[in-house]
Formats: sequence, C-alpha cells, structure tokens
Amino acid sequence: MILSDVLGAEVYGDDRLGHVTDVRFVLGDGSSEQAMPQARLHGLIVSPHTKSSPMGFERTQIRSPWPIAQLEHWLHRDSFLVLWEDVAAILPGRIQLRPAFTRYSPRLVKAAVPEPDFQ
Amino acid sequence: MTAEYPLDPEAATGRVLDGHLHLLDRQVHDVASVPVTAVSDLELSDVDSIENIAPGTPAPEIVALLSGSVLGTRIFGGRPPPSRLQRIAWSAVDQVGVVIRLAVKGETLDATWSERWVRDHIIGRIPGGRHDPE
Repeated sequence: MILSDVLGAEVYGDDRLGHVTDVRFVLGDGSSEQAMPQARLHGLIVSPHTKSSPMGFERTQIRSPWPIAQLEHWLHRDSFLVLWEDVAAILPGRIQLRPAFTRYSPRLVKAAVPEPDFQ
Repeated sequence: MTAEYPLDPEAATGRVLDGHLHLLDRQVHDVASVPVTAVSDLELSDVDSIENIAPGTPAPEIVALLSGSVLGTRIFGGRPPPSRLQRIAWSAVDQVGVVIRLAVKGETLDATWSERWVRDHIIGRIPGGRHDPE
C-alpha cells in the first residue's frame, strides 16, 4: 500500500463524511538501533469540504498570512481525526469506518518535526 | 464554525508526523548534506485483509520513502507503476525536519542512478571530465 492510495479517498460512516486530507503517524519509542524510530499509522484526517490540505493551517497555530489562513480554516472547518482502530475497510478510493467511531480534533499541539520560525 | 472534538491523545507527545504535511515533497539530503531527491510518496507495510480489517489489526508502518515522476498522475489521476518509483528505506532516515536527512551516502541509493549514469557515460567521456578542475 502506498500513501496516495489513501489520500483523497472518500470516507464513509453511515453516510458520506468527506475526504482523507492527511494521514497521521506516531513514532515508536526509539529503542531500536536505527536513528529514526518506526512510524506507525495512527489515524486519518478527514475534511468534509475539500480533498487536500498541503499546508496544514487548520492543524497548527500559524495565523499568517491572514487571508490564506482564514481561507484554509474555512475550507477545513469541521475536519476531524479518526484513529486506525476505527477503520473497517480500505477499498479503492473509499474508506469505511466502524459504527460509533470517535472523532478527534486534528490539531497538532507538538509535532515530531519542529515548526519553522518566521520571527 | 468548527466543531469542537476531543484532542487526539498523541497530539502533544511530540512523536507525531503528518504524512502530507511533514514528509511529502520534502527534499532529501544524504549524510553529507548533498541533495538526493524529493519525497513523492510513502510505502506502507501491508495489512491483512485490507477490505475487511479485523479489530485489533496492527496499524501499517512506513517502510520506505518513494521518489520519482509523479506530476502526471497527481494532475490526471492514477499512480505510476512501481518500477518508476525509487525506494529509500525508512531505516536509512536519520532526521525529519525542514529537509529529510539520511544516514547513508546518496551514491548508494537507487534514487541517484540517473546522475551516476550521466556522470559515467556522458560527463566521463568529455576530456577532463574524470577529475576535479585544476
């Protein structure tokens, strides 16, 4: 499986929920000998209104440039994260979630990748 | 107005990577900080019965960074054949930041085969093409 099989796929619960705009991974504990720990798929970020989110404004505290940030926040309103445990099936172009899946906020409080400093 | 959902339990641990935001299209540098390629896609480990995933199935992991020509398929859809993509094993990744830094030399990777071919078969045949300028 490659990532682009999942990105942009339509997500369904009981009804259509939106598209996968990103895939979240969690790094392992780093106990192995390799420098970068294994990255395990943690969940899918689903946006009800758009298919792509290459800049991630809705997940970070970046608020500038103001017009683009406002537009991105509006485009990605009501986005949510659904965990791997709630994924029932991955089909071509379609992802089915389990009944009673849980929606989490897609917000990134602290990522493994340092944010660029624009100050 | 954005709905308020509970925070992802991993969001504040500092161990989170978003594939599109943090990995795709990032430049890849080798151990000597020489640019190698850019990340076009990610290869994930296979999942048993992906069309009917049983509860408790282990989540897939990143196996490799993929690079190659994907502009056409991004615009027109589809995916390039696997033979058109070069793999860089995730175990060769040293650090993910503004660029992705590898722990190996770029010359050992399939991703740089075209540069090596041009060097050996074209540049190397030009008089003076096999040594540094004096």
